[in-house]
Amino acid sequence: MKKKILLSFFVASSLFADAELDAIKEQLKQQKIITQRLEAKLSMLEKKQAKQQVKIETKKSVNTSASFSQNAYLPDIALILNMSALSRNISNNDYPNVEIPGFINKGDIHLPFNKDKGFNLNYAEVAMHSVVDPYFEAFANFHLHPDEFEIGEAYIQTTSLPYSLRLRAGKFKSHFGRINSKHQHSWHFDSQPIIYKALFGPDGISDPGVQLQWMAPTDTYLMFGAEAMQGTNERSFGESDKNNLYIGYIKSSVDVGDNLSILGGVSIAHGKNKTHHKTDIYGVDLTLREQLGSYNALIWQSEFLQRNKDLGNKTDKQAGLYSELIYQYNNNYSFGVRYDDITKNDTDLSAYGIDTSNLKRYTAMVEYKPFPMSRLRLSYSHDKTKVLDGKRKDIDKVMLSINIAAGAHGAHDY
Amino acid sequence: MKKIITLTVLLSTVLFASIKIDATYSTLGAIAKKIGKDKVSITVLGSPKYDPHFIVPKPSLLSKLRRADLLIINGGGLELGWLPPLIRSANNPNIQNGAKGFLDISHFVPMIDVPTSVSRAFGDVHAQGNPHYSTDPHLVLTIANAIEQKLENLDANNATYYKQNLADFTKEWNGYLSKIDAKMATCKDKKVVQYHELFNYFLDRYDFKSYGTVEPLPGIAPSSKHTVKLINLIKQSGIKTILQDVYHEKKTARFIADKTGAKVVVIPHDMGAVGGTTLQEFYNNIADRLCR
Repeated sequence: MKKKILLSFFVASSLFADAELDAIKEQLKQQKIITQRLEAKLSMLEKKQAKQQVKIETKKSVNTSASFSQNAYLPDIALILNMSALSRNISNNDYPNVEIPGFINKGDIHLPFNKDKGFNLNYAEVAMHSVVDPYFEAFANFHLHPDEFEIGEAYIQTTSLPYSLRLRAGKFKSHFGRINSKHQHSWHFDSQPIIYKALFGPDGISDPGVQLQWMAPTDTYLMFGAEAMQGTNERSFGESDKNNLYIGYIKSSVDVGDNLSILGGVSIAHGKNKTHHKTDIYGVDLTLREQLGSYNALIWQSEFLQRNKDLGNKTDKQAGLYSELIYQYNNNYSFGVRYDDITKNDTDLSAYGIDTSNLKRYTAMVEYKPFPMSRLRLSYSHDKTKVLDGKRKDIDKVMLSINIAAGAHGAHDY
Repeated sequence: MKKIITLTVLLSTVLFASIKIDATYSTLGAIAKKIGKDKVSITVLGSPKYDPHFIVPKPSLLSKLRRADLLIINGGGLELGWLPPLIRSANNPNIQNGAKGFLDISHFVPMIDVPTSVSRAFGDVHAQGNPHYSTDPHLVLTIANAIEQKLENLDANNATYYKQNLADFTKEWNGYLSKIDAKMATCKDKKVVQYHELFNYFLDRYDFKSYGTVEPLPGIAPSSKHTVKLINLIKQSGIKTILQDVYHEKKTARFIADKTGAKVVVIPHDMGAVGGTTLQEFYNNIADRLCR
């Protein structure tokens, strides 16, 4: 009997020990789950508390601003500076007398930028942008040359028209073509394409007027635009009886895969020149951009422009193109080459008495951007479009330019 | 004939019922999908392959913005370099800043690293604080709440649907959070350097310490002087991990790794940057790579 009791006692105790172990394990497991849940709850509560504290703090803060302060409504203001140092095989005295046969006569060339051998301060531009109200936003570029003040652009545009419409009014750069609407500091090269310079002068098509743009409700980007402008540009238009310039364009873009985007456009500008006859300018542009990485891209941009200028007794037909290839190596360095060509010059060139064919220019550049707001650019160009004192004068130019945009300057368009 | 017309009308209303959401980045888009589910269609504007500060403003993005009912942005200045001109040209009154269909998530997130003074002399600093908050899994529900509120606001008829989706997602996400928190709790080595201050929210959440950045200042490419300094710092502090993102050059980080014996780890900054198509995969990717 005693033995039996002892044995059962022994068995029970060992059984008990096993059961105890399991129970403890189970308890531990549950404790773990509880801990995890509590931790989750704790972090949630902490977050909630933090949120509430933020709320309380915002509630608590009293108005400390000056009673009639309007600081919060200040527009974005930026200062854009552009300057250069250059060397060239033509003197500063001769340079303003160069001609482009068929386009620009002696003394007519307008040279606001990079005019002098040596140093140039091209401009200090004050750019402003502000939302006006729920319906309009306003832009202005005050273009300050060393001895000239110019309102480069000043316009308002709508933000809330229905049917994908946008209306703009004021003085602005036309969206004709690809490069016309862009500011000089956002170009890939410092110099304007020859055909733009020849047809419009350094400002391009820039006039007081109105613009209406409409984007089609398609998956592919398709945009139609119409503009009515004053037409003060005397190189191509310039009849001053009334506003004379009407512009229309279609732009479209497709993406091929993730990295290649293609943008193309056709444009027409119809105006009246100083002889009271019509001038028609047709433009075709194509831009391909292959994105190779975040800061690495290959861009090929080309434009072709043709002008038919009716002078009463005859119609001058002239055309030209430029094509540029830019390789953006990383966020600091870019390289680019550009080819300019006057492809058609159907006008009376007999007065020159020399061969005026083969009007071309070659440009190459290296760009260094320490930061997105500053840029140094070294460029070389060989220009075969110029005539000086009745003789062809090929101009070689080496230039180092610096451009900065300081302050609140918005991002640029594509 | 009449039947066909009613049918088309019916169908078109059904089609129209879907709210078109454009999200600037993929994580925001994925969270919006969790709340909107079948009632929304999501377009992500910025590919996670690229630097979120410098998305190329391709014209094709304009046609996406043109038809959007709701634009969800990260905010905090992250889109400043590419989105404003697109919004301006998209001719869509619904998604203008301040309109009903515009949602800036940064207004709902407690921002960290808010600078006490701002100047471009310090590089590309954001006055509003560090905008890369979407690496913190604990902020996902904050974002989801903001989106749910906005969707209710835009589409009141489906308010209960969005509420239910949010409730479901909250449950799912809290479950996930306890898992990832438990995983991160096992993590021992908490010293890192990073290329750009992209991962501060995740690092802060799990008590990591970021000792420095490969770039000398935000947005400025590495310099040899700064790299030498960083190498010394890594050696002195015994740092074993260099956090690299997918879009910056990797040479500098590898060079530093060679000199110090630290390891370069590529961490996704946005969903899909290193593969993975769900939110959980995105955060798991960060956790797994950080906590080896």
